[in-house]
Amino acid sequence: MTASDLVALSPLILLSATALVVMLSIAIRRHHGASATLALLGLAASFASLRWAASVTPRQVTGLLLIDGYTLFYWGVLLALAAAVVLLAYSYLEHQTGHQEEFYCLMLLATAGGLVLVASSHMASLFLGFEILSVSLYALIAYLHLQRLPLEAGVKYLVLAATSSAFLLFGMALLYSETGSMQLATLARFYMGAPNAALGAAGWAGTVLMLTGIGFKLAVVPFHLWTPDVYQGAPLPTTALVATISKGSVFALLLRWFHPAGSLAGTPVWWAFVIMAAASMLAGNLLALRQNNVKRLLAYSSIAHMGYLMVAFVAAGPLAVQAATYYLLAYVITILGAFGIMSVLCSGEEECCELEDYRGLFWQRPVLAAMFSAMLLSLAGIPLTAGFLGKFYVMAAGASSALWLLLFVLVASSTIGLYYYLRVLVVLFSSLPEDHVKVMLPRGRVPAGAGFSLAVLVILLFVFGLYPAPLWDLIRGISAGIG
Amino acid sequence: MAAVFYISSAVAVVATLLTITCRNAIHALLYLIVSLLAVAIDFFVMGAPFVAALELIIYAGAIMVLFIFVVMMLNMGEHAGETALDVFKPRAWAGPSLLALVLLAEIAALVSRQSAPLSGVEISSKQVGVALFGPYVIGVELASLLLTAGLLGAYHLGRKAVTREDEVHGIDTRQSRAVTGDPVVSAGAGRSSHAA
Repeated sequence: MTASDLVALSPLILLSATALVVMLSIAIRRHHGASATLALLGLAASFASLRWAASVTPRQVTGLLLIDGYTLFYWGVLLALAAAVVLLAYSYLEHQTGHQEEFYCLMLLATAGGLVLVASSHMASLFLGFEILSVSLYALIAYLHLQRLPLEAGVKYLVLAATSSAFLLFGMALLYSETGSMQLATLARFYMGAPNAALGAAGWAGTVLMLTGIGFKLAVVPFHLWTPDVYQGAPLPTTALVATISKGSVFALLLRWFHPAGSLAGTPVWWAFVIMAAASMLAGNLLALRQNNVKRLLAYSSIAHMGYLMVAFVAAGPLAVQAATYYLLAYVITILGAFGIMSVLCSGEEECCELEDYRGLFWQRPVLAAMFSAMLLSLAGIPLTAGFLGKFYVMAAGASSALWLLLFVLVASSTIGLYYYLRVLVVLFSSLPEDHVKVMLPRGRVPAGAGFSLAVLVILLFVFGLYPAPLWDLIRGISAGIG
Repeated sequence: MAAVFYISSAVAVVATLLTITCRNAIHALLYLIVSLLAVAIDFFVMGAPFVAALELIIYAGAIMVLFIFVVMMLNMGEHAGETALDVFKPRAWAGPSLLALVLLAEIAALVSRQSAPLSGVEISSKQVGVALFGPYVIGVELASLLLTAGLLGAYHLGRKAVTREDEVHGIDTRQSRAVTGDPVVSAGAGRSSHAA
């Protein structure tokens, strides 16, 4: 470890230190606002140090972590997402009884796990990052553990995530016994079919087991069964965390090391990816059709969106990496906005996530309803939004690799998806029922922090939908080295 | 040496199968201990005595904690005494003891005949330490983050359960049984970090 290594790691170190500072501040004196402020300051410091870290990258730090432009880009995205979640969580937790402060601590640790995942270049750091993320999420999902649903969701996630970690670990063991290396770069060389590097049966079995573990975190079919229950049961800020940071960091890792780059095309593993992509798109969209709970609806739609991402993933070439990154960015902005608006609307201890709760929302809270509509339109992939351009790039990447069957499934399932997004929109704008007594949010202001983060998310949604060039160039720059 | 390895592997597989098929939690735990002991012997034969010792120390401790949880939490009420006594019936200990005896015979064989480890080299605790604080130092730091997350989670999820238990204690059996859900969850969260 040299001084430059520490500089390269400074965002991660600052983030972990912030988690500890928040923990110690709780020990001294409990104060909700202070904990949230400390968490925000730490995230800001960590974000600011990205620039500093960039001065010494690309850099391989002790074989475990690889810090380069790609890593720093995703670190920035994850830190910004975490800051938005802090702002949303503050207004949400204000209404909850019980201790609120540990949420920020656990959330920062989960983010640190995500950072480790993105940077990891070694199986050990991959697994540790995976576990830091999982263990923090167990507690975050069951955070309101005096209520039935969060507790149930937490236990479900605990059992399933622990099982998937076991799969991942066993897969790593098999791959290590086959390749003799725990470096992901060496592993990637085996997949690329380098000379003197061919995987045997145990190696492929290990690959499949690892993909099971990773597929669980991404919630692609057939590893998606936990998604609706956990999304529904978890407190809204945690749901946002699972949907953005957890999935985003795992996908970034997958994209860097397991991007097939065309050489896998036609092999059984490539077909497995293709089938997972198609099944996720179809199953997610079809199952979402009849949901009456908005959280469950968005959970099923997230399965479908992971399927769209996988289309870009199985496509070959540098365009695929860029398309996947752009799509992922558009998706996390949108889904964070959607869950954020829901958490602002849910005042009191009860979450109102049934579709009926949203009937006539536009006539009560026009601005929030308009924002929610923008998010839903982006999820559906309507032009002018980031979601449309993301889908456009994914289509372009798929078309350049001639994945016609997958593209057909994508178009067909997106069309199915339109139905349930529009169904929510119709409910938002329909007239208030006569006997309407339930007011979503007492007339008044949206908390400043949450309002600010929502405004930023909506602005980004349209900026990335209308003027993608700067972001696209940035993504092209950082993905030049990989894929 | 190879024979010892395969015999203890077989013991581990059999014990693990019995762990997951036993309907009685205490019987299952006894088999789990045997399974872990067998894996420890496997590590030893492979030339990793330090890992073998860790396997014994850490997992024996963790299993003892689990044992206490099962006896104290899952069987609250009048059956607690009977369940505790259940361990002393031959049906409970005959199987695990038989498997443990096989392992004991293996250890006797290992002690009586000195031979080279299967992998050819023996990894000493010093080498493990050098690796952990050399190339894997970041891994050690990350493991500490993992433990912090587990600790905080267990604290948060477990803390309320205690106060709530005090409130409802002795009011209603069904209610107090529902309460036991919480300690089990916190135990799980704590355990997974422990195992890591």
